[in-house]
Amino acid sequence: MDTTVYLPVGSSSPAVRARSLTKTYGTGEAAVHALAGVDVDFAAGQFTAIMGPSGSGKSTLMHLLAGLDTATSGQAFLGTTDITRLGDRELTRLRRDRVGFVFQQFNLLPMFTAEQNITLPVELAGGSVDPEWLATLVSTLGLEQRLSHRPAELSGGQQQRVAIARALIAQPDVVFADEPTGNLDSRSGAEVLSFLRRSVRELGRTIIMVTHDPSAAAYADRVVLIADGRIAGDITDPTPESALAGLDALRTLEPAVQTGPVA
Amino acid sequence: MPTSYPTARLTLGQMRRSVGRLTAAGVAIAIGTAFVTVTLLAGGVITRTTYDMVAASYAGADVVVSVDDDQGLAAFDAETVEKVAAVDGVAAVQPVVGYYGDLRNGGKGGYLAFAPVPVEPRLSPLELTDGAWPASGDEVALTTKVAERLGAGIGDTVTLRRTVYPEGWADSRSEDPAAELGEPEEVTEELEVTGLTDDPYGAYAGYGGAAAVTSVTIDAWNADEPSPYLVTELLVALDTPPEGTTVPAGLDDAIHAATAAVAGDVAVKTTQERAEDQTAAQTGGQNLVFLVFVLTFAAIALLVAAMVITNTFQVLVAQRTRTLALLRCIGAGTGQLYRSVLLEAAVLGAIASAAGILAGGVLAQVALLVAPAFDLGVPLPGAITPTWQSVVLPFAVGIGVTVLAALAPARAATRVAPLAALRPADAPTLRARSGRARLVIAILCTLGGFAALGLGVVLGMNGGPQFGLVASVLGGALSFFGVVLSSVLWLPRVAAGLGALVARTGPAARLAVANTLRNPRRTAATSTALLIGVTLVTMMSTGAASARSSGDVMLDEAFPYDLSVAPSDERYLADVHDATAATEGVAATAKVAHAILTVGDVEGLEVTAADPAELARVVNTPDDAERLTEGSILLTQEAAESLSVAAGEPVTVTGPEGSIDLSVVLTASAPLNRTLTSADLARVAGDDTWTDVWAHLGGGDDPTTVLADVQQAVGQVDGSALVMGPAAQAAQFRQVVDVILGIVVGLLAVAVVIALIGVTNTLSLSVIERTRESATLRAIGLSKEQLRGMLAVEGMLIAGVGAVLGVALGLVYGWAGAATALSLMGEVQYAVPWTDVIVVIVVALVAGLLASVVPARAAARTSPVAALAVE
Repeated sequence: MDTTVYLPVGSSSPAVRARSLTKTYGTGEAAVHALAGVDVDFAAGQFTAIMGPSGSGKSTLMHLLAGLDTATSGQAFLGTTDITRLGDRELTRLRRDRVGFVFQQFNLLPMFTAEQNITLPVELAGGSVDPEWLATLVSTLGLEQRLSHRPAELSGGQQQRVAIARALIAQPDVVFADEPTGNLDSRSGAEVLSFLRRSVRELGRTIIMVTHDPSAAAYADRVVLIADGRIAGDITDPTPESALAGLDALRTLEPAVQTGPVA
Repeated sequence: MPTSYPTARLTLGQMRRSVGRLTAAGVAIAIGTAFVTVTLLAGGVITRTTYDMVAASYAGADVVVSVDDDQGLAAFDAETVEKVAAVDGVAAVQPVVGYYGDLRNGGKGGYLAFAPVPVEPRLSPLELTDGAWPASGDEVALTTKVAERLGAGIGDTVTLRRTVYPEGWADSRSEDPAAELGEPEEVTEELEVTGLTDDPYGAYAGYGGAAAVTSVTIDAWNADEPSPYLVTELLVALDTPPEGTTVPAGLDDAIHAATAAVAGDVAVKTTQERAEDQTAAQTGGQNLVFLVFVLTFAAIALLVAAMVITNTFQVLVAQRTRTLALLRCIGAGTGQLYRSVLLEAAVLGAIASAAGILAGGVLAQVALLVAPAFDLGVPLPGAITPTWQSVVLPFAVGIGVTVLAALAPARAATRVAPLAALRPADAPTLRARSGRARLVIAILCTLGGFAALGLGVVLGMNGGPQFGLVASVLGGALSFFGVVLSSVLWLPRVAAGLGALVARTGPAARLAVANTLRNPRRTAATSTALLIGVTLVTMMSTGAASARSSGDVMLDEAFPYDLSVAPSDERYLADVHDATAATEGVAATAKVAHAILTVGDVEGLEVTAADPAELARVVNTPDDAERLTEGSILLTQEAAESLSVAAGEPVTVTGPEGSIDLSVVLTASAPLNRTLTSADLARVAGDDTWTDVWAHLGGGDDPTTVLADVQQAVGQVDGSALVMGPAAQAAQFRQVVDVILGIVVGLLAVAVVIALIGVTNTLSLSVIERTRESATLRAIGLSKEQLRGMLAVEGMLIAGVGAVLGVALGLVYGWAGAATALSLMGEVQYAVPWTDVIVVIVVALVAGLLASVVPARAAARTSPVAALAVE
């Protein structure tokens, strides 16, 4: 079965690529193939959602692409860098300069204010904050009034917006978001997703989001479906309905789904 | 049936999950109980050693007959001894009698104990190894050690110098018995060494050996003493040894009948029983003081351990909030949770205490095995004798302290609401309660304590050191209690201040400072545990340093020379002088004579005399000494004024041989007051003088070493010569201070070690709590090195704050103590023991750094993926 997903013609060069990416936990009889040879490209300047049911391998794929975990075999590229070959020191530098993260649990540091949380990655890298970029982020994410607050004084949606700002402050090549709306009510979730989309459209960032929620996936420019550790489909310009249909198709064990116009 | 004890099952299950954390806390308790165990075992060793020495002095006696009355005047006379010896079944009777005298061979020797030649070999602790027992009054047998010290062998003659007091001397109520009864007479006995003896059980080990003479001789000598040795014990050998520990009733009655004439209570006991009684009487006081002294430090160590335990349990409870809430949801009562935590503490306390007692026992045994390598002069037992107290007491204390320390965390566990199980799994933190009562008590204690301390210092400086010391000690203890109690309120602020300085060094340091302050109660508790030990260590070394430098200054003012040697008799002067001058490190010597003369119209003044040129070479103020010429006398301004003479005016000096007029030369050096030339002294004093040797030391050598060398050299020619001097005294003073300081600091170090374990524990717990946070930081670009650096800064900050504050407090207490206790001696010098202070702070910082190593490794191993994981 050919699960290779080819990039739509005319899209920009890929920001992230996976080639025969495999991740196996355990050995022998007990081996679990979380990823069974994945080939996929993610375009720069796009908002892509990776969607699949629980245990499909979507989180594992993201961890490998972001250099948080080591692959069993295969390659993952960030731009032209093969991150599967990097050591911890290089990976740390990569995470500092070229990758941003948004977590389901927000993961803000409780003892720092919103502003200190946002600027932390730049400080860790020993750089200085670009005040213009900070102002742009803060106004885009609507955080002007919240900068001096600590996480405990912010709502869930506000905390996640701070986390998005933190992920973008170093102007990374790509931002990975892991179920960013998983801990939010639907209104705050919608707000956060709009902000993510605006970050892509207005600020020119690249975002890859992992989710199991079709309505969240609908905010993306493209949905990559994953099931049983393999790419199981690709939806361009998804709607909540088409995303849900794609997810349902996976549950009925359809081999692959291809909807939407191939431009 | 484990199902019957749901609490126990729950407790054990939770303990299994927290083994690592509990181990660290357990080590703290184990060290504390080991301390208590060693102390109690050492007390046992002291008792045992005393018993051995007492029992040894009874040798092979079967029964000891003793007499006692309220005045301590009752004694057995010779007639009674004979009557007892005549009792049916008694083989021999040896009255216990002794004498102390100055026995010499040439200049060597000194005071030592004399024992009688035994009437029956098994009634004496001494065994004849060579030659024969003395048979007449001019013979003596020496233990091998004494013979070595005197340099005498069989056939040599040694001399005993003793004083014969006129009869009735002790009973005389006259102020000057010599006028009424005649002068005491100095007698020299020439004794021939006829035999060498051994003291296999160490009965005389405490005296450095003994000399044996016939019992007739010893009685005769005792008769010449104003207060002769009273025979209060008779050692009895029986024809057939008694069985068990009781004296046969018939014998008991017979001996009582034989001793009926003696005033006082007569007791007949088996040797073992008597030795046990005597041991109890001898060690009761001393042993108790020793135990209280050392157990105070054990209490401090346990207090610090308790703080570590409380901290650990607080964090454990916080971490288990979800589990606890879940248990509450499914029906666990608050009482069950409370008991569960306490049971956990009890189990931990039991295991840790057992380990501590074992470690303490091993430590004490090893110490006993190693001790003989240092010649202590006391026969120590070869093995410890564990008593039930030395096992049960530390065990109970260990469990008690652990359970008490867990009370507050256990209460916190009962406050967990069932609802907490449903909240998101954010790292829970225990909320610090306001603790208004604590604040009030702490402030009262601190203010009252410092006020009492101040009062004590004022009293001490104004000549009331006894009350001053009491006020200072109470005030110091009270204020320290207040400071420790209130530390949670102010210590985090100090940490924030210090942290602000550190935070400038980089983002990792800034993170570390923020982390230190996010849990002020825990940081305060950890730092305070260290603060206690550091304060006490600094206090002791500050006090010691102040005592040392105060002593140095006082000695410099009081003595003009580096070293002086006073021979025990004028006969040895030439030899002593030569021996001193020949010692390496001695640059110059002078013979300095002293006499009691009349100066002007004042009788009975001690004057000093020397050759001016010699004197100038040995005193610390040579300019003054050089102004002394024949026909002049050195006087201080005050001395001249009190004699109503001025510089250049004549003053009359009168002695037994006549009087001369000397012209007054003023000197600024108090020790050189009333100094004249040897030639002038000879004209007025004749032979009625005594002479010392003063010495000046060369710069290069250590005065302590030179002192020892001079003592050694002088000891060869005159064993009783008194070697002293500012350099020597300062050295001795320093030695005493240093030994005491060493012991105290050693004991306190245990508390510091436990506190440092607490730092590691706190850091490990923080790391475990912050797993996700660490992973997040790694995910957004914190390198492993930065993560380790962050924890290192955290550890150093927690330890450093405790150390710096402890040093500051310790300095205050040390100075206050020195001002109170030393003012009586003269002007107090407030010294800062820089070396000790720096060592303490460096040790604390390094320990803080080391404490972060293990937790940091664990934190660095955490994969950033953990940040993304949903619990």
